[in-house]
Amino acid sequence: MAEDNRLAEALAECREDDVRELVRERIAAGDPAAEILAQCNRGMVELGNRFASGECFIPELMFGGMIMKSLMAELTPLIEGQSQAVETRGKVVMGSVQYDVHDIGKDIVTMMLRGVGFEVIDLGVDVPPEAFVAAVREHQPLAVGMSVLLTTCFKSVLATMEALRAAQLRDKVAVMVGGAAASQLLCENAGCDYYGKTAVDGMHYACSLAQVA
Amino acid sequence: MACDIQQRYGERLNRYVRAMRNEKPDMVPIRPFVAEFTAKYAGYTCQEVTHDYTKAFAAARKCAAEFDWDAVVSNMVYVWTGMTKAIGLKYYGVPGIEIPATTAFQYLEPPENDAYMRADEYDQLIEDPTGFLFNVWLPRVSTDVVPPGQPSTFRNNMSFLKGGMAMMSYFDAFGPHTARLRNESGTVSAISGILKAPFDIIADKLRGYRGLCTDMFRQPKKVLAACEALTPHLLHVALSGADPEKNVPIGLWMHRGCVPFLSPPQFERFYWPALKEIIEELWAHGHQTLFYAEGEWNPNLKYIAQLPELSIVYHVDRGDIFEVHKAVGHKFCLSGGIPNDLLAFGKPDDVRSYCKKVLDGVARDGGYIMDASAIMQDDTSIENVRAMTEATRQFGLYSQNEEGARPPAGGTLGATGSASDTVGLPSAAATGSASGMRRPGVCVPWEEKAAEFPEIRGDRQLVRRVWEDVDALAYTYIWQCLLSF
Repeated sequence: MAEDNRLAEALAECREDDVRELVRERIAAGDPAAEILAQCNRGMVELGNRFASGECFIPELMFGGMIMKSLMAELTPLIEGQSQAVETRGKVVMGSVQYDVHDIGKDIVTMMLRGVGFEVIDLGVDVPPEAFVAAVREHQPLAVGMSVLLTTCFKSVLATMEALRAAQLRDKVAVMVGGAAASQLLCENAGCDYYGKTAVDGMHYACSLAQVA
Repeated sequence: MACDIQQRYGERLNRYVRAMRNEKPDMVPIRPFVAEFTAKYAGYTCQEVTHDYTKAFAAARKCAAEFDWDAVVSNMVYVWTGMTKAIGLKYYGVPGIEIPATTAFQYLEPPENDAYMRADEYDQLIEDPTGFLFNVWLPRVSTDVVPPGQPSTFRNNMSFLKGGMAMMSYFDAFGPHTARLRNESGTVSAISGILKAPFDIIADKLRGYRGLCTDMFRQPKKVLAACEALTPHLLHVALSGADPEKNVPIGLWMHRGCVPFLSPPQFERFYWPALKEIIEELWAHGHQTLFYAEGEWNPNLKYIAQLPELSIVYHVDRGDIFEVHKAVGHKFCLSGGIPNDLLAFGKPDDVRSYCKKVLDGVARDGGYIMDASAIMQDDTSIENVRAMTEATRQFGLYSQNEEGARPPAGGTLGATGSASDTVGLPSAAATGSASGMRRPGVCVPWEEKAAEFPEIRGDRQLVRRVWEDVDALAYTYIWQCLLSF
């Protein structure tokens, strides 16, 4: 029998009412919450793929992420109650660089990463280099993501990379940079590992590091 | 000397206006949107030009005097944070206060779960936009304003008094500054008046982009109705500040209509109908709109092409300007298209080459104004701006020089006259259909006040006119808070 992908499909297409109904059905049917969440994760990956192929745009990512966030709030206590292991992809530290207080791009990446199962340490906006360093030291993440919307904040990207090098953490973590002002040129000049043109690129990069689809 | 400057002003105005009418002037006009770049050039910090508008004006004048530019915006930094702090507005990161003095001011999106307008408040906004702004929105965006029904405070009263007087003094300062631009360097003030798309206003100042994304899925009809309710007010504000000579365009600053913030179908459904209506109405009044298309707009070109010929000056940011030229260059003047990262980090020779490429590709038949893609902040290289200016003068000369600009069919536009960048005050006789309880231009309607007066013994019309003129100042206050600050 073919796998029931209705929940993943409903989430990928942002059909909120269908998603909620399907989750209710599966909880009532006694499906393990971790399995339900895993299918939601697949839905988020598919949503990302739809974005990457131009089938949907940021409002869908934003809305899909919001649906996912509320599902995680609903399912996580059930998972804990069922003593199941939650499959995590690893940790990612995210933040908008120092002096940049824009948060939408950073938040979309964060939602997408969480949606596919990463644990994200969100440092917020206007994050000084030393705060990135402290978070990397404390959490030992798979990757750090820097968001930069303003070309005037390029120097903050450079300063953060310099701080990671000075703290001898550079070779212990992959660094990705994205946001409206970011570019391959900035990525190379700053010595980052990856430039993500979109939030979904960032998600795919983190998935490649974690060796998941 | 003074005569020479006036002659130069006339030549520049003619050049600028003819290009905007999609004609071929003597040479390609230069109208750079220089914001914090002016601070860098004039030796000020971002804090100085943002918090002290006299320095912003001085910086703009210095640039205008020392670069060979045809037109500049009087103050492209625009937001005077001395006034926003007097009102207590929360949504700016102000240089020297919340962020370093050397960083440009930034707008703060409302918190995800604490937007300035709640998801269930659309009906209130739709019913009475002006009332909603005063009674609900302003108390939420100001640290000092108290909502109706709660005990007033000294700080509440000061917010209105100081905010109102500060706004008036700021707007009044534009006139003398614009005159100095004209008389000291022969430079044209590039725009007059302000417009925002109804969708952008909801996204930026009311629901936040996150909230509005959710609303498009959960309550799309309310979003559309809110855009419609805002339309006559935004039209009124735009007309109130427009150039009476109808030479320079009204500035329309757009944020969220581009890809990927909206898909083209979402753009067509939510963003475009109300905005198109406003632009067409402005054009019917003879005013062009400076269509500042921030981001990537090329996927929406087919909609923009629906606008009446000459009704906009299309400013190209991230979109491919050659594609824009091919699609709508026959209908509208284009401006911009020189990448900001090239101007910030490139070499002057690369800037010159790129300018030549754009001039060759889109300016051959006129109808192009040289500018960067987006507003230029303090990361822009002075040397590169100089290269952009020189390259335009070198490669942007036209062989033929037709005299006089033809007024387009849509309005009664002239090619000479004074351009003012002041923000005019609206009259109570608003253009556009009435919306909600309060008409555009009105806070406390005359009919309501007249019922409180004893029988008027003298000239009733005089009493009414003065009441409405003063009432309109309050209307200007709240809508300019929403649109400009």
